[in-house]
Amino acid sequence: MKKSYFLSLLTLLSLGSVQAADKPVLTVYTYDSFVTEWGSGPKLEAAFEKICNCDLKLVAVEDGVSILNRLKVEGDKAKADVILGIDDGLMEEARATKLIAEHGQTLDKLSANLKWEDKDFLPYDYGYFAFIYDSSKIAKPVSSLKELVESDAKIIYQDPRTSTPGQGLMLWMKAVYGEQTTPAWQQLAKHTVTVTKGWWEAYSMFLEGGADYVLSYNTSPAYHVISDQKEQYKAALFSEGHVAQVELAALLKASQQPELGKQFLSFLISPEAQGIIPVTNWMLPVVDGVELPPVFSQLIQPQRIGFTPTEIAEKRADWIKEWRSAASK
Amino acid sequence: MLVTAWAFYGLGSLAEGRLSWTVFTDPYIHRILGFSLKQAALSATIAVLLALPVARALYYLPELVGKSTFLALCLLCFVLPTLVLITGLVALLGSSGWLTPYLGKSWSLYGMQGILLAHLFLNSPFAIRAFYLQLQALPASSWLLARQLKLSSWQQWTLLEWPQLRARLLTVWVFIFVLCFNSFAVVLSLGGGPQATTLEVAIYQALKYDFNIPEALSLAWLQLLIAGSLYLLMTRFGSSGWLSADTAKLQFLPIPPRWQARLHQLSYYLAWVVLLLPLLALIPNLLQINAERFSKLTIMKPLLTTLSLGVTAAGLAVLLALLILSPIRKARLEYQTRKQWLLDGLANHHLVMPAMVLSVGLYVWCLKHLNLETWGMAFVVLVNTLGLVPFAIQQLKPRLFQFDDQYQHLAQQLKLNTLIYWHVLLPWLARDLQAAFLLCLLLAMGDVAIFSIFANDSWISLPWLIYSYAGSYRIVEASVLSFLFLLICAVLVFWLEKIKNQ
Repeated sequence: MKKSYFLSLLTLLSLGSVQAADKPVLTVYTYDSFVTEWGSGPKLEAAFEKICNCDLKLVAVEDGVSILNRLKVEGDKAKADVILGIDDGLMEEARATKLIAEHGQTLDKLSANLKWEDKDFLPYDYGYFAFIYDSSKIAKPVSSLKELVESDAKIIYQDPRTSTPGQGLMLWMKAVYGEQTTPAWQQLAKHTVTVTKGWWEAYSMFLEGGADYVLSYNTSPAYHVISDQKEQYKAALFSEGHVAQVELAALLKASQQPELGKQFLSFLISPEAQGIIPVTNWMLPVVDGVELPPVFSQLIQPQRIGFTPTEIAEKRADWIKEWRSAASK
Repeated sequence: MLVTAWAFYGLGSLAEGRLSWTVFTDPYIHRILGFSLKQAALSATIAVLLALPVARALYYLPELVGKSTFLALCLLCFVLPTLVLITGLVALLGSSGWLTPYLGKSWSLYGMQGILLAHLFLNSPFAIRAFYLQLQALPASSWLLARQLKLSSWQQWTLLEWPQLRARLLTVWVFIFVLCFNSFAVVLSLGGGPQATTLEVAIYQALKYDFNIPEALSLAWLQLLIAGSLYLLMTRFGSSGWLSADTAKLQFLPIPPRWQARLHQLSYYLAWVVLLLPLLALIPNLLQINAERFSKLTIMKPLLTTLSLGVTAAGLAVLLALLILSPIRKARLEYQTRKQWLLDGLANHHLVMPAMVLSVGLYVWCLKHLNLETWGMAFVVLVNTLGLVPFAIQQLKPRLFQFDDQYQHLAQQLKLNTLIYWHVLLPWLARDLQAAFLLCLLLAMGDVAIFSIFANDSWISLPWLIYSYAGSYRIVEASVLSFLFLLICAVLVFWLEKIKNQ
């Protein structure tokens, strides 16, 4: 999850300037909250640079979907060796750019319940989309997506064109409403405060008291317990099930450092990195046996619903059109 | 002109038969087009209606306290970087704003109401100035006559003020309409989702969110068509002299009855309060910043970026304006009216061409041919410069024509060579050059639209940084930066007013 206290752009400026001349540089495109000082970026960077004898350069590109867009803009001229932060919903579209190389990792280390077999994209964490509320203000939260849509609770969510949670909500709505999604979007629009470009904008507005529910992840409450010592933020469990997000990293064909890139991918699913990610990126680890703080066992454990990456790739453009059409009324 | 062609080449080249015609039948596009027109019409109408009473108050009560400061404030509001205003509005009326608790539970800044508020704030002051100056142009003899005929207030309005204002009313309305129709930063920050999107923002989204180039191109053409025809319509009705100095000449003004004077005072002071509120709302936030948060703020680099961007673009714009005006002046001296008109049209065509359309065209071209990371900044300067040239021309033209009328014969008789000619001309123009430069600088520094297209993460401008902060609800940081920006702009505006009033 994208948890941070400071805007990427600033951190970026400082990160970009430190560069040792003699070491090889591995450039990674990722989303903004990953590189902030509270995010996973700095800690992973320190740990990886200890073993790789290289300089890891993390470049923030707003939110997940923007990474893919940037890749499309730059094509084979992309300055990155690795992309980190697109998700399973965008996987097929990213593969279709033909810019992605095989990751070359053995997948038996990954948790069996992920059932991951892809040769190009490597998962590094996952979580379920969920609506977060403040239990000190809302005693009885909604218990299904339908109830939320039909309520008059103020909600904030993210634009599915730029943000992976926004796209997640789009899949969620489609999975629950099927052919009836258009009227559901219209109903939701009536009590939507705003649709933001990225996750962080929405979440900070929610924390400022701007809404009753905000779209985030089932793991978000863990952040508040561990970093803020605040217990009141909870994820609402929906009876229809939740859409999951598997966050992925991949190596680019144009990379000048394929071996170093592979070493980084392998590091991402190592016990060390997998121990860092849950308590900095606030998502669940993709390997078994990682020791997590106790609050993780209190998180809601939803039933998974959704679509295959191929289905999403086929329909995404149409579903986005449906959303913007319905939500603009 | 060349650059425009270039942009169109960009727009055309990637479109190659891929211009997405479905855009024109998509109900979503119809709706955002409808919304763009509706918000622009509403903004323009309300701005004009609100400006009238204030302009009349200024006119009828020449002794108002702080009047010249108020006129400067009006100018400041109009050239104010929109992001500064947006931060102020969020601090005042956002979900934890100072005034929000008094507005009822259903209040939300996002959507139509936020867009309208911001547009009114930016444009009413412009209308106030324009109407006030127009009223000032009423000849004193008319008022003498009115006094002799003992006209009632209503007769004064119908016989004197209204005929004087009528033409200007329409020009100002269309001008504000075009500005709001092309509005970008306000809609992007306060729109709050697809139900409040304008065409301009849709172009940006098609390009940056969906990476849907055909759609962006089709939308750009649509935008050009509408904004362009509106602008042509406007130029037919003449230009508006809103920047002229307050002439404050002696008038035989009727002394309004007491209750009217009170009403005038009320609207004047109310206007003061309303215009100052969003700006003052920034101040309490300044006190909340502590050393730790302040030390994390990167101020210098974005500030320098913005300043150097603005100075380069403004300098180039003034220079270009001088060059472009040369053939126009020549045509004028040789009485080639048609040629002059044609050249004028060419020089001003960037007013018709929305910056977003130009930027998208060039951006699309760059994608194929250039490395945007190295050239992006150059394009930001280029497109900004082009957008500013008409403003610079507008500032310089009257004085240059005056020079021609008074000294051209002399200059020809003396057979001055080019160097000496400019040596004479430039000091004569000094004040106007400064004014043109300052105006361009103010406008360039506030740019967000052009920057948003070409920007990448290795450099960032002050408005864009404010946008990031305001967008992620870090109002304290946004306020600090906005306030700094506001101070810089205020200094420039008062300087500009001083030059103008000399």
